[in-house]
Amino acid sequence: MIELAPRHKFGLPIASPVMPAAGAFGYGDTYHDLVDLRVLGALVTNPMSLTPREAARGRRIAIHGEHFVAHTGLPNPGVRRVLQQYRQTWERLPIPVIVHLIATTPAETAQAAERLSGVPNVVGIELGVVDNVTPQRALNLLDAARADGDLPVIVRVPFTGVDALAPLLADHGADALTLTAPPRAVLPASDAPEDSEARRYLRGRLYGPALFPLLLNVLARWCSKLPVPVIACGGIASLQDATACLELGATALQVDALLWRDPLILQRIAEGLAKFETSTISE
Amino acid sequence: MVKQQDAVFRQAYPAPPYWVARFDVANPPAPGAFVLADLGGPLRQALFPATIDADGFTVMLPPHHPATRLLPGATVNVLGPLGQGFRIDGVTRLLLVAEIASLPPLLPLLEAAPAVALVIEAPTRAQLPPPDRFPPAVELTLVTRDGSAGHLGPLESQDPAPANLERVMPRLVELIAWAECACFACPNDRYPALAAIVRAARVQPAPDFAQALVQVPMPCGVGACEVCRTQTRATAQTQGGEKHACIDGPVFDMLLL
Ligand code: FES
Repeated sequence: MIELAPRHKFGLPIASPVMPAAGAFGYGDTYHDLVDLRVLGALVTNPMSLTPREAARGRRIAIHGEHFVAHTGLPNPGVRRVLQQYRQTWERLPIPVIVHLIATTPAETAQAAERLSGVPNVVGIELGVVDNVTPQRALNLLDAARADGDLPVIVRVPFTGVDALAPLLADHGADALTLTAPPRAVLPASDAPEDSEARRYLRGRLYGPALFPLLLNVLARWCSKLPVPVIACGGIASLQDATACLELGATALQVDALLWRDPLILQRIAEGLAKFETSTISE
Repeated sequence: MVKQQDAVFRQAYPAPPYWVARFDVANPPAPGAFVLADLGGPLRQALFPATIDADGFTVMLPPHHPATRLLPGATVNVLGPLGQGFRIDGVTRLLLVAEIASLPPLLPLLEAAPAVALVIEAPTRAQLPPPDRFPPAVELTLVTRDGSAGHLGPLESQDPAPANLERVMPRLVELIAWAECACFACPNDRYPALAAIVRAARVQPAPDFAQALVQVPMPCGVGACEVCRTQTRATAQTQGGEKHACIDGPVFDMLLL
């Protein structure tokens, strides 16, 4: 077992280091026909907030070469409705569930975290904070997520905020850190009408292979310095990529939106790592 | 149940204003449903069938689409069939309405009912396909935005109150009154005005009388990515709110969009 929250009273043990990233895999009912969930460490759910959020208006995807930007607005029906809809699905899943919570305000975050404690098979919260969060605000949100709930809290750190936030959050009680959230980027929306700047360019979360060397840079700098487990996320697209993340000190890894093109990538990485582990042990 | 399957690309040839590409596949999508094909690039691409048979399907694509560059015999991994297509069981008088660039997903319906009427709108004559491309039994109405061929467009009124039928092309109103079911394939922003015409031309149209294929990117096809969310209205029978075009659509009751 891999322990993702060694400092937490209940811990957060997972059987495999491979997980889908928040926003890539739905709420657990989407890819189960294609992917053998049993080989994964946990389901990380799509982002959810205390109250419902609607989808962003207008264009939501722009592609440029091997990269794309997505801007969905993180639509979700709110924690209460998600629990009504998926509680039983999660209970029946063969893997534990880590809920990705959109940290809006400390009060809402505390309320949402409280609602999640005690939900069968939910073993942790991954807290998503906005890109420009200040260190103090991030600590307040972390405190709120830990205040009334009893679940381990992982914080997904913004790409541009690792230096300022990662050590602070780790010292302040985060049980683990996901490094990193997808960076923000702008791409031309090639087939958009030419009538306004806003329509011709799309700002959103960036996905693609260029994130991977940036991720390795972050891991190389921070894994050995942080007192908590690090979950690597960003552009991981193969078993070799996953191995590199683990070699640089990550405890686990998340595969992001690249799995939309190749859903089986999760399974291949998980099975490849398991094989490697078995052969190392037998040697 | 979502499945992956291998499709074998057979050939592609120009059929202006499109290119036609043929794929052999064990389980082709129904009209208005789709597969997500891995054609390179970071995301899969939705392919809607233009013709369907027991061995596969053809798609009509814009020139330069990556599928037109495949070599005959190439294997393409596809996810699907996915989505809910057109629902026309038992319909005897079927109306199809499309803007030219969005027409291909309606083409499998050309012979899906004993009587079919097809309305195509294009910016100008040169962008209209030749009428002999369509089965002779199909009643064809051509519309151009510049009046260079057929009726003068656009289909919907430019009047601020689009339900004012006096400002709408009379032939379209007649056909909506005649049809038992009307299937639309146009850019999404045209559907509210077209829905207003249907409401004005029919007394209490039945659910699914007017069906519209929404055009929205569908990167995952299974409800995971939230990119395809489409706003729908509630009725006495149905819950409204945001739906996934990839699962609940991409064909929706146009009056609920
Ligand atoms: S295409 Fe991803 S949710 Fe519909």
